[in-house]
Amino acid sequence: MNSFISKLALVYCLSQMSFGYAEESLTAQQIINKSNLASYYAGNDGRAQARMVIVDGKGQKQIRQFTILRKDIEDLGDQQMMVFFSRPTDVKGTVFRVNKKINSDDERWLYLPALDLVKRISAGDKRTSFVGSNFYYEDVSGRNPQEDNLTLLTSNEDNKHYLLKGQPKSPESVEFSYYQAKIDKKTFMPVNVVYFDQTGSKLREMKVLKMKNVQGHPTVVHSRIHQFSDNSYTDLQFRGVAYDVGLPSTVFTERSLRTVPKKWLK
Amino acid sequence: MNAVKYTLLLILITYTLVTVSQELADDWPVADEQWQEDWETDDSPWSLAGYTEVSFGSFLQSNIVQSELSLSEIRLRLDAGYSHDYFEFSAIGDLLFDDIDSGFEWQTRELNVALSPLNNVDLKIGRQLITWGTGDYIFLNDLFPKSWVSFFSGRDDEFLKLASDSARATWYLKDITIDLAYTPNFVPDDYLTGKRFSFFSEKYNAQIAPDNNFFKTTTNNETYSLRVTSSYQGVEYAIYGYKGYWNSPLGFNEQGQAYFPTLHSYGASIRSSIGSGLINAEFSVYNSIEDISGDQLNIANDQIRLLIGYEQELIKNITGGFQFYVEQTLDYQEYIQNSFNPDLVVDEYRQMFTFRLTHLSMQQKLKTSLFTFISPSDNDGYLKASMNYRYNDSWSIASGTNWFFGDKAHTFWSQHKDNSNVWIRAKFNF
Repeated sequence: MNSFISKLALVYCLSQMSFGYAEESLTAQQIINKSNLASYYAGNDGRAQARMVIVDGKGQKQIRQFTILRKDIEDLGDQQMMVFFSRPTDVKGTVFRVNKKINSDDERWLYLPALDLVKRISAGDKRTSFVGSNFYYEDVSGRNPQEDNLTLLTSNEDNKHYLLKGQPKSPESVEFSYYQAKIDKKTFMPVNVVYFDQTGSKLREMKVLKMKNVQGHPTVVHSRIHQFSDNSYTDLQFRGVAYDVGLPSTVFTERSLRTVPKKWLK
Repeated sequence: MNAVKYTLLLILITYTLVTVSQELADDWPVADEQWQEDWETDDSPWSLAGYTEVSFGSFLQSNIVQSELSLSEIRLRLDAGYSHDYFEFSAIGDLLFDDIDSGFEWQTRELNVALSPLNNVDLKIGRQLITWGTGDYIFLNDLFPKSWVSFFSGRDDEFLKLASDSARATWYLKDITIDLAYTPNFVPDDYLTGKRFSFFSEKYNAQIAPDNNFFKTTTNNETYSLRVTSSYQGVEYAIYGYKGYWNSPLGFNEQGQAYFPTLHSYGASIRSSIGSGLINAEFSVYNSIEDISGDQLNIANDQIRLLIGYEQELIKNITGGFQFYVEQTLDYQEYIQNSFNPDLVVDEYRQMFTFRLTHLSMQQKLKTSLFTFISPSDNDGYLKASMNYRYNDSWSIASGTNWFFGDKAHTFWSQHKDNSNVWIRAKFNF
């Protein structure tokens, strides 16, 4: 199934290359696949230093700083990820390891240096906060496009973006009723995603604030998620982004929890 | 008053350290106007961090110990490190003013060097913490030292584990990983002595709280711990071995002095996801070498320990866990015949259930945790409840209770009924 999707995506990439714009013929599902590919699967692997500023409704700030390593098993398929926390000081040395699985629950581990404890974590709700921020696990690792029914809306704003509407196939599993994603027609990067409740009020909004071209891959280097219910938001910023670093699969093992692979963190 | 003097001193030291640690930190400015700027990487190989924490705890009823407080201390944690391409140096210690036990003292928690001498070998030498096994607050094959005093008094979970001066080598072979830890001088648990908590003495058939650490013969010999792990399709397998001593003085020598009898153990564990949950199972066999036949009056018998656990997210932000543990005393007839008092013996199959509920709320700033041990064979239990509120990256406050219950004076948890306490801690991270 996954290889079928990736082949499909490849076919479309090729068709675009040979015939130029083929936007008319793209379905919503194809657009979201391309978008997922561009957002979460750029290169065969990737490395980035990340920082979050979490601002609550009262304006109080918290910081999270970490380095992410990622390796794709297959495009639009399974992935391995390591997140090394360096800030704040009480989480310094904490490492989060994820084997992202498309067809089953993710495998997750957490290393707590103060106890030298490798804690395996049960697969949790993916729409819960990632390290206390407004980003959900799913915002960081990507929402499986198969989980939504997608329709292509005609955008009357401009001709540069697709406007997609996604409705969850199992509405009880998520907090929103539907979302609208604005996706750049050239890069297939989502630049704005708004989640609505049943009454059509905004629940939360993801905005891309800054993009950069890194090794030919359009890359979000600054984005913000705003939560309307309590007016809190989180800024996520990346630096030192690199693709096709050549990360060996041995980096994505238990060894890296205790012995940080410094060489690959730059 | 000494406490006030020490508090002022610690505040002054903390202030100085905050300043230094901020100088060393790779600064990524928070201010909005600098947010858009490109960042400079100023990676100093040195790091310095730490915290100051004030903790108080009080017994919930009268106890025969000297102090009415179960916890009264100020701690300054210093965590210094040096990162080199080929090694990692770590020094962690606490400047502690403990009003109940030791007074003013320095405790070195970690002082070690970690390096990879070969491509597939990691070495860590020096004072360090080592943890393994699959249990949640229950340890079978992890015979590294623990502090039950910290666990019962409401200190942070990290203090449950004690450090030892050890050399740990880890070999990463193709499909298996081998860990070997060598500790030249055996480090016992920080077991209850009577300084802070009272406990039941089988010998005197009464609750006691000796003023000084009750006299015991120390053991300075070496211990070896081995673990071999492998994982296949998300299932983690491990086998374990240990050659050392019982972690608490479970023997009395001919002079009537408590000591740590020899213990050899082996075991295995498995851990895997199952559906949306996690399942774990572990067993261990304890060979009490000095009492193989179980007829030594003053030495613990052999045991077989078994644990089965399951954990899953029940609803969004609430995780539930469940464990069943059984501890079989071998040569039970000999044990009964040779006990101080046959009315006070432990069941042949001592059983225990544990239940955990963890709730994260307020954008994960508030963590509420409920952990309960219940033993149907001893008819007693221990409730460990806590709330931890993280006000911001610097300040946090926590409070909770350690509540023991049971109907007999001597059983494992019930003997601590008078030790039941509530506690509160405030912490400043830098």
